[in-house]
Amino acid sequence: MSLETPLDLLKLNLDEQVYVKLRGARSLVGTLQAFDSHCNIVLSDAIETIYELDDEGDLQSVERNSEMIFVRGDTVTLITTPDEE
Amino acid sequence: MSTKTETTSVSTQFLSNIIGKPVNVKLYSGMLYNGRLESIDGFMNVALSNTTEHYENSSNGLLKSYNSDVFLRGTQVMYISEV
Repeated sequence: MSLETPLDLLKLNLDEQVYVKLRGARSLVGTLQAFDSHCNIVLSDAIETIYELDDEGDLQSVERNSEMIFVRGDTVTLITTPDEE
Repeated sequence: MSTKTETTSVSTQFLSNIIGKPVNVKLYSGMLYNGRLESIDGFMNVALSNTTEHYENSSNGLLKSYNSDVFLRGTQVMYISEV
């Protein structure tokens, strides 16, 4: 299937699992329910991962679950399909 | 006026000419994405395939490689260059 515009790629991911990278070392994995041209997105059964450095300078991550989450488009940097594990 | 139309056409020409070619896309965060340019729109939203992720420079080592197509948001894009 050929992609007319980059946003068409997101259309193919509707109702599928997506990995969304956000500004500020955060990422989300969830089912894509809706999106618009601003990249405002709605995810269901989402897991947010927040990366932080602890006092020793080691990378730590905190996870948070949301049944339904609306993400404002301006924080989105990247959207793709999550790695199969 | 003619200069202006010329410059816009050169830049739009560049963007349509590099579709299907390997490109580097740098975001304001400093992340560099290397992949095949699948599509691009007027907002500089970008779709890449066979994408690898690096910090600042591809010689800084591979952070991640993406198996499926990657969408990058136009407002975050600093530049796009042909590899």
